Amino acid sequence: MIECLREADVFEAIAFGRWPADADAELRGHVAHCPVCRDLVTVAAALQSDRQALVGAAQPPTAGVVWWRAAVRTRAEATRTAMQPITMWHRVVAACVAVVAAVLSRDLWQWGRAADVLASFGGQRAALVLVGLVAALVLAPLALYFTLADD
Amino acid sequence: MRDVTITELERLGGGIADAEATFQMDEEAFRRFYERTARPVWAYLARMTGDPRLADDLLQEAYYRFLRARPALDDEAHRRNYLFRIATNLVHDIRRRPHVDDNALPERGECETSEAHGGDVAADTVRRIDLARAMARLKPRERDLLWLAYAQGSSHGEIAQTLGLKASSIKMLLFRARRRLAAILRDTER
Repeated sequence: MIECLREADVFEAIAFGRWPADADAELRGHVAHCPVCRDLVTVAAALQSDRQALVGAAQPPTAGVVWWRAAVRTRAEATRTAMQPITMWHRVVAACVAVVAAVLSRDLWQWGRAADVLASFGGQRAALVLVGLVAALVLAPLALYFTLADD
Repeated sequence: MRDVTITELERLGGGIADAEATFQMDEEAFRRFYERTARPVWAYLARMTGDPRLADDLLQEAYYRFLRARPALDDEAHRRNYLFRIATNLVHDIRRRPHVDDNALPERGECETSEAHGGDVAADTVRRIDLARAMARLKPRERDLLWLAYAQGSSHGEIAQTLGLKASSIKMLLFRARRRLAAILRDTER
């Protein structure tokens, strides 16, 4: 047997504080002989008493505080969400700069070709071109960062 | 520390007003709902986690998620069930963390409140500690079921909705959980 037809009556008596003193004698008699209702009394009475004590001890913050914290957090999350495309754009630009830098570096390291190109400029001019290329590689990402950064 | 300008404060205020517009109810409706539900939800969280301080944090989180959610909640009962469902999910998330102490023992602060109810403080405290220990020996789902059914007084349909179970299975699950807890409590009394 997993249920008893009197369970609802027994639980009602417990929930409304009538159990056991103010409950029907007939209901008390039934509980004494019904294993299902006996378990129900043991469990429900313990849980109801525990809940009463916990609810009495509860000191939740006021509704206003909970509302305000939720509003502040919602706004912070909205701001973070709005910032996401910018962050994504930063990443795309950084990736492009990295690819370009890698390609240029590879070409520069192929000294056979680079030396031919530089030789055509002459000694001092070749050094200037090299410095310019290195500066561009270093400064371009920085310039992009400061252009796109918000603050 | 950087000074905050009036403009920034105005922007913050405006931002909060915008944020409030995304909530599923206005502040007054929320206040009324909160007054009716905060203590029972806190009690549930405190008993299920065994940690009143954690219950404080989870309470805020539960209401935050509740306000941000946009389900079709047409009446108070549905809202309440939905809130308990959020609370249940939060407790499940906490249980998955390995460091949580799962012994749901009442703390000194909780026990002191028994005096306010005028009962036998010592006996009541012992009974509550026994219950907490017995609950800690149950499976998490059994604890949820028993609390919702017998502490909260939820119907089988409401429990099914809150725990995401089939309504038809609640009766059997509840029967087993109840029998188990009753046996543990009787053993403890002997």
